[in-house]
Amino acid sequence: MGLDYKFVLWNKHKKTYDKFIALGMVLYLILFFVLTLVTNAELTVETIIIRAFGSLAIIVLHIILIIGPLTRLNPKYLPILYNRRHLGVSMFLAALVHGLFSIINFHTLGDKNPIVSIFTSNMDYGSLHNFPFQVLGFFALLILFVMASTSHDFFLKNLSPKIWKQLHMLVYLAYALVILHVFLGAFQQETSLFTIGILILGFLMISGLHVIAAFKEGKIDSAKGELDSNGWLKVCYTDEIEESRAKIFTVKNERVAIFKNEDKLSAIHNVCKHQGGPLGEGKIVDGCITCPWHGYQYLPHNGQSPPPFTEKVNTYELKVLEGIVYINPDAMAEGTEVAPIVC
Amino acid sequence: MELIINVFLIVLGLYFGLGLIFGLYFVFIGGTKLDSFLKDSKKIVRLLLFPGVIATWPFLLRKLLNTEQDDS
Repeated sequence: MGLDYKFVLWNKHKKTYDKFIALGMVLYLILFFVLTLVTNAELTVETIIIRAFGSLAIIVLHIILIIGPLTRLNPKYLPILYNRRHLGVSMFLAALVHGLFSIINFHTLGDKNPIVSIFTSNMDYGSLHNFPFQVLGFFALLILFVMASTSHDFFLKNLSPKIWKQLHMLVYLAYALVILHVFLGAFQQETSLFTIGILILGFLMISGLHVIAAFKEGKIDSAKGELDSNGWLKVCYTDEIEESRAKIFTVKNERVAIFKNEDKLSAIHNVCKHQGGPLGEGKIVDGCITCPWHGYQYLPHNGQSPPPFTEKVNTYELKVLEGIVYINPDAMAEGTEVAPIVC
Repeated sequence: MELIINVFLIVLGLYFGLGLIFGLYFVFIGGTKLDSFLKDSKKIVRLLLFPGVIATWPFLLRKLLNTEQDDS
């Protein structure tokens, strides 16, 4: 939230995470080089670089893909989510080194354009076993480039959150292409059961966590509350909501976060205007509801970002009867003031 | 198959070629018409946005044209 764009939105914590990312990647590369030189000394340096950066990119891609479901299952993983953007760009850079070295090593020696060579050096497109796997890697790298190059708030704002999100959901297509790229490569170049086994384990881990997280969220969405005579929905007891925190409910197919701030309750739409973050998983900081993803803030009583910012979310009317919280299922317009209810 | 590959690569090359031209215009001139926050942003930020503008130029061009239409 600023009136100009920053090169990178760093703060003390993000710098620490970035140092961990950089250190982890460098350590992995050193370890890969040393182990490969010890166990497979006949490989050329170029081949080791291609494999080291390729495997590094896949590992980081797996970490990126498990962060989302992990945070939905346990909020203690949220700090990792804050840095997913930097992790994504780091992963793309590793994949780019892998791709560039592969092109230089395998496609620059002939008289063909290297990009044309990627597509035509193996024309066995009808074969499942001998399919040109480098083409799959090319498309995956193209998707990762689009994602990494638009990983900035400027694009989120100017492409619109909907288009931006759709572009970034292509990560799953990139993942599928990467898996096929490595799977076919591992079969065609040297059958490596270890590589295939690791890939299958990774796929099971990612898909398993997504299924478990979807099941958990499905339970929230399918929970049916009872209506009182005025059509207000009974949601919970006042003491079920912690101070400065929220509980999330589904009302008319929309997720709503009911926050407790200084023993008063306010309800707003759960979806942050910035990137669709779950506001109800955040907390109240300095009197403002603070999105757990990127720190966007909203005032509890009107769902508006504090001036000079202009984001607004829907608000909801609440009432408390005998310690039970009721919500009017009809959302108020975005930014409408609703007086907080005393518990 | 080779024909399909050649056509695809020509289309891809055209897309990124046009993106490059649009990107240069957008980063130095057009961007501030679309987003006033860019005016006060450092030059290095525009440089950082350049690859993304090349990648997504049809969306930004459409939005820029709509903005200019609204202004006139």
